Amino acid sequence: MRTAAIGGVVLLALAASAMELAGANPLLGFYALLRGALGGPHQIAETLVQTTSLLFPSLAVALAFRAGFFNIGAEGQLVIGGLLAGLLGARLHLPGIAGLPLVLSAGALGGALWGGIAGALRARFGGNEVVATLMLNVIAALLANYLVVGPLHSPGAVGPETAELAPSLWLPTIAPGTRLTVAMPLGLLVAAGVALLLSHTVFGYELRASGANPQAARRAGIDQQWIALAAMLLSGGIAGLGGATIVTGVLHRFNVALSPGYGFIAIAVALVGELDPLRVVFAAFAFGILQSGSLTMQALAHVPKDVVTVIEGLIILALSARRFAPSAGRLRADERTG
Amino acid sequence: MSEPAEFLALALVKAAPLIFAALAGVLCERAGILNIALEGQLAAGAFVAVAAAAATGNALAGLAAGVLAGAVLGGVLGFAATRFGVDQIVAGTGLNLLAIGGAAFGLVVIFGQPGASPSVASLGAPGAHLLIATALACAFALHLVLYHTPWGLRVRACGENPRAVASAGLDPKSIRLLATTVGGALAGLGGVYLSLGELNLYSDGMSAGRGFIALAAVIFGRWTPLGATGAALAFGALSALQFILQRSGVPSELMQALPYLAALAALAGIAGRARAPRADGVPYVE
Repeated sequence: MRTAAIGGVVLLALAASAMELAGANPLLGFYALLRGALGGPHQIAETLVQTTSLLFPSLAVALAFRAGFFNIGAEGQLVIGGLLAGLLGARLHLPGIAGLPLVLSAGALGGALWGGIAGALRARFGGNEVVATLMLNVIAALLANYLVVGPLHSPGAVGPETAELAPSLWLPTIAPGTRLTVAMPLGLLVAAGVALLLSHTVFGYELRASGANPQAARRAGIDQQWIALAAMLLSGGIAGLGGATIVTGVLHRFNVALSPGYGFIAIAVALVGELDPLRVVFAAFAFGILQSGSLTMQALAHVPKDVVTVIEGLIILALSARRFAPSAGRLRADERTG
Repeated sequence: MSEPAEFLALALVKAAPLIFAALAGVLCERAGILNIALEGQLAAGAFVAVAAAAATGNALAGLAAGVLAGAVLGGVLGFAATRFGVDQIVAGTGLNLLAIGGAAFGLVVIFGQPGASPSVASLGAPGAHLLIATALACAFALHLVLYHTPWGLRVRACGENPRAVASAGLDPKSIRLLATTVGGALAGLGGVYLSLGELNLYSDGMSAGRGFIALAAVIFGRWTPLGATGAALAFGALSALQFILQRSGVPSELMQALPYLAALAALAGIAGRARAPRADGVPYVE
């Protein structure tokens, strides 16, 4: 707790000096940030939209980390999920009650597939999932660009995006006149689901045990190859579902720029939330404030919005000293010596 | 110039930054530090070089500053990994965000405009050619250092069994710290090549995933300087091919994706069993 408080103060000081450096008044900067994020009902709704978009990949990262897998690929999984949802949704003319579950499932499936590739490489060949997910992030972006501009270009779409989804496939808003949709309660539901899975099911126990001590888990008869695949399928699925909610709830189409790096910021969110699904919800809200207030801060206080990225990087760096599950490298090294 | 010669020249131009970054990756990983912050080190090198060149009007000062920026970032990773035992993957991710966000922030603060810097004094064509030659020379130099010097032996030992290094009365942490710092300087030089060699400015997203392609080259080159350089050259040739095939209907995204797909294939053991250094990415705890 005390370390966290000291860390918070240091971060605030660093942020303030960055604003000074930019020739802005730090007090005005913080004020503009908060006002942009929480200054009124619309600002709060938009902050919750950002929170939701961050929540899904953050839960995905937290789940994978708890199982001992460094899923650095939530970004790619989110993009593929959004891509499948957008490609399917732009061609689908169904009432929402049938179409929406279909489109959202397509997103989850796409993300699961993308995460599953890394999981399978690890399970089958012992391939480092960090490198695999990093590669898959770039491949996802290239694939998305190729498909929406090239062979699966939808008529009427300009730029690297699909056509607009039929309004029946838009997620219903829960606050009229805002972009806040049922994606938020859905995200909270997923958070509760992940929490229950981890703490109240045998499978969740096996995930945690494998993350905490892979050799002991293996000796206890937990199939480590299955855990690798299952953890990455599940993690990717959650991130992919998140991509699909951005498509159906926020943009109403897939655009290659649908994520300003949610999958990477998610790593910071998951770490601040101590990989605990319920605490991750609050962490996502805190980062949602940063994301949604940064534009107002730029407009009102003339602080470049990129200062937020710098702060997020610093937070990740600061929290990297925490003890996590053993990394893939350590697991392999131990397997060889043991 | 004849077409094959033109192609080769373009391949070298595209490969040079990859070679610098891949050599940085080899050095770090052979010492036992998985450096996924190569991307950030490229960006930092490129941006700081432009900022320093703008401030001094001297491209060589820019070069020195860019190399220094890479070395500092590499040193931070090495310091955090050896002194605080941080998770290298998480720290690397943080450093990438920090460097790329910092460069975007710096563009606005120093040049007063987002997106790209104005033109600054560049190294020009002779400078760029010299840097390409330097990249190739560095590959041989790193090969000699790693396999034919006592320090190289220590670096490789740190990547395989740091405890044995410590038993021999040496400090694996200092060796790893020096390796990541030198590695960062190499990646920084790759960044300088991008901003002051190929061009004369910095623009957001300039590193364009080259740090990740370099990681792929490290795996494909089986963690050896010459192997990684060969892979980087092959990836450079791929991007040169992309220019030639631009109008032939081959999707450019496929060409761009090939290095990453190749890395996945290498991870799946398709190019023979590739083995990472045993202690790659493993914190050393006394």
